[in-house]
Amino acid sequence: MDHAHSLLNWRSLRWKIALLVAVACCGTALTVGVLVHRSTEARSMNDGGARAINRLSQALKDYERDGVAPDGLVTQPAAMPGQLLDRLEHEQGDGQAMVTWYEGGGPGDHPSMWAARTHRGSPVALETDMTSDLLTRRALDRHMWKYSLIALAVMVPLSALAAELPNRRLRRVARTARRVAAGDLAARTAAGRGRDEVAAISAAVDTMADSLRERLLAEQRFTADVAHELRTPLMGLVTASGLLPQGEATEMVRDRVAVLRALVEDLLEISRLDAGAERAELRPVPLADVVTEALARTGLDARLSTVGAQPVMTDPRRLDRIVSNLVANAHRHGRPPVEVTVTGTGVTVRDHGPGFPPELLAEGPQRFRTGAAERGTGHGLGLTIALGQAQVIGAELSLTNQPDGGAAATLGLPAVTDRGGMGREDDGTGPDRRSH
Amino acid sequence: MMAYSASGDGLPAPVAVLLVEDDEVIRRSVAMALERYGYRITTAADGLAGLEAFRDGGHDLLLLDVMLPQLDGIGLCRRIRETSTVPILMMSARGDALDVVSGLEAGADDYVVKPVDTSVLVARIRSLMRRAMLVPAPASQAPTGPATVARSVERPGPALLRFGDLAIDPAGLEVSRAQAPVALAPTELRLLLEFAANPGIVLDRQTLLRNVWDYGWDGDSRVVDLCVQRLRKKIGAERIETVRGFGYKLRP
Repeated sequence: MDHAHSLLNWRSLRWKIALLVAVACCGTALTVGVLVHRSTEARSMNDGGARAINRLSQALKDYERDGVAPDGLVTQPAAMPGQLLDRLEHEQGDGQAMVTWYEGGGPGDHPSMWAARTHRGSPVALETDMTSDLLTRRALDRHMWKYSLIALAVMVPLSALAAELPNRRLRRVARTARRVAAGDLAARTAAGRGRDEVAAISAAVDTMADSLRERLLAEQRFTADVAHELRTPLMGLVTASGLLPQGEATEMVRDRVAVLRALVEDLLEISRLDAGAERAELRPVPLADVVTEALARTGLDARLSTVGAQPVMTDPRRLDRIVSNLVANAHRHGRPPVEVTVTGTGVTVRDHGPGFPPELLAEGPQRFRTGAAERGTGHGLGLTIALGQAQVIGAELSLTNQPDGGAAATLGLPAVTDRGGMGREDDGTGPDRRSH
Repeated sequence: MMAYSASGDGLPAPVAVLLVEDDEVIRRSVAMALERYGYRITTAADGLAGLEAFRDGGHDLLLLDVMLPQLDGIGLCRRIRETSTVPILMMSARGDALDVVSGLEAGADDYVVKPVDTSVLVARIRSLMRRAMLVPAPASQAPTGPATVARSVERPGPALLRFGDLAIDPAGLEVSRAQAPVALAPTELRLLLEFAANPGIVLDRQTLLRNVWDYGWDGDSRVVDLCVQRLRKKIGAERIETVRGFGYKLRP
């Protein structure tokens, strides 16, 4: 399909090269053709002139001998072309010189060569027919046209075909670059040999992919290190604060520890999502069950209603993250009651607060920005995570404001298809199933 | 049958947990928190000290950090598994594929990612101990009451189950393959019994996570995959069949 499309593309490099070859071929053929035409004509004139002069000399010899003008010898100046007489007049040197004149546009397309000299004071001339010469030259011209066109007809497709080779390599470079852009960091052009510009661009794309991968790996390593460095003291803090005796101050400490912990986990999650290394583990899942369990785990107040829930193809741990973030967001920035509705393969979380700010609807969620003062405080990472995770599991998350007030986040999940029922491709025992 | 008892007052002895953790605050605070739940805690600050403490004996469960000086948690786990089927719970601060998968491959029964709430840690320990004791899992988990070891489990003895050259004694909890006894860690045994109770029926990862590990939808199905892998190594790879996209089943 791609091939056919590129064949039909008139802006393709292939047709540009073919056009260039065609122009070059035409130029060469025209130059050679004109030169050959000219030199053939000149030779034909020379030969024709010499022949005419020979014939005139012979005729004059016969005239001298017999005293009678032989057949074809013109002695009346009135029967001679004017230009011939002019020449005879002007180019007469010692009175013995012969002049010739080619009368091209003769009647009935019959050109002829005139030869003349002054004989006994008056001009005598002889006409020699040149029709066969003209026909020969015309035949030659036709041949040159014909073979030039044949050569063109062969060369242009051939050059188009020859252009296919670098074209193919260029297409491979483009494909590789697109795969890298789509997240396949192992994609390489593997051009290998060749020292032309295509090889150079292939090498450049490969180098780009290498450095991109290195940076991403470094980022992932950094995230893992940060995770370790932050979580270890946090773990001590969480457990130690759990040991404090009950009291107002203890509650404050525990609350802040919980906030800090949530923030660290959110940042690590976003950083993993940004690295683009997250892989979903999709399998058929009963939507209502997962949402119910996710709601229970948040410990937040939400009204759940289910209308014809269907099984979906998803990663339940990520779905859990999306739902809990949306519900937490609705509580933090909206007003109760928070309603969670499971319909078919979709989940809607809506609140009855002021709704999403217009900037958020226009530009999407921005980290550490809640958009408006009336939306309350919060680090604004919840929606970013929900959107990021939705992308990983191939779900669609849309944010809208309800006409009767309140923000609504609707998550559309892929349904279980017959073939999609086979969620996991392999044994599922490899260490790279998921990367967090 | 005798109840294992250290105090001799008829009460079951507390569960003895060996905690190996290099961070001092975590080590001391987790020890204190678990002691409040009634566990008896021994601690070690590095892998080699942990191995030594384990060899002193008397531990019902091991709580290992992954990143440890001297000998890391994964190496320690592997060394312990050479001789023992004691339940092992790993704690990882990274939670990435490498840490989790290596720990589970080395023979850990489950893992938690730091920071972990004491209540979650206790729930994991209880689930693991139930597997070790093979007491049927209660529907609800009461957060109070001291954790105890119930060594005396009386069951009406069903007949020996046979699957090819594999023989399972559900009463004596002994497994043998071609007459040679097979040593299974508690989670592996529990998983095998789950399969044996449903021979030839495909069990999906979710069901196994729920029935064996007491996880809901938040469970990580890698623990199932890796435990099945370990079980296959011990009872023969062909005994447990992978059903693509669904789960596993025991071949009768």
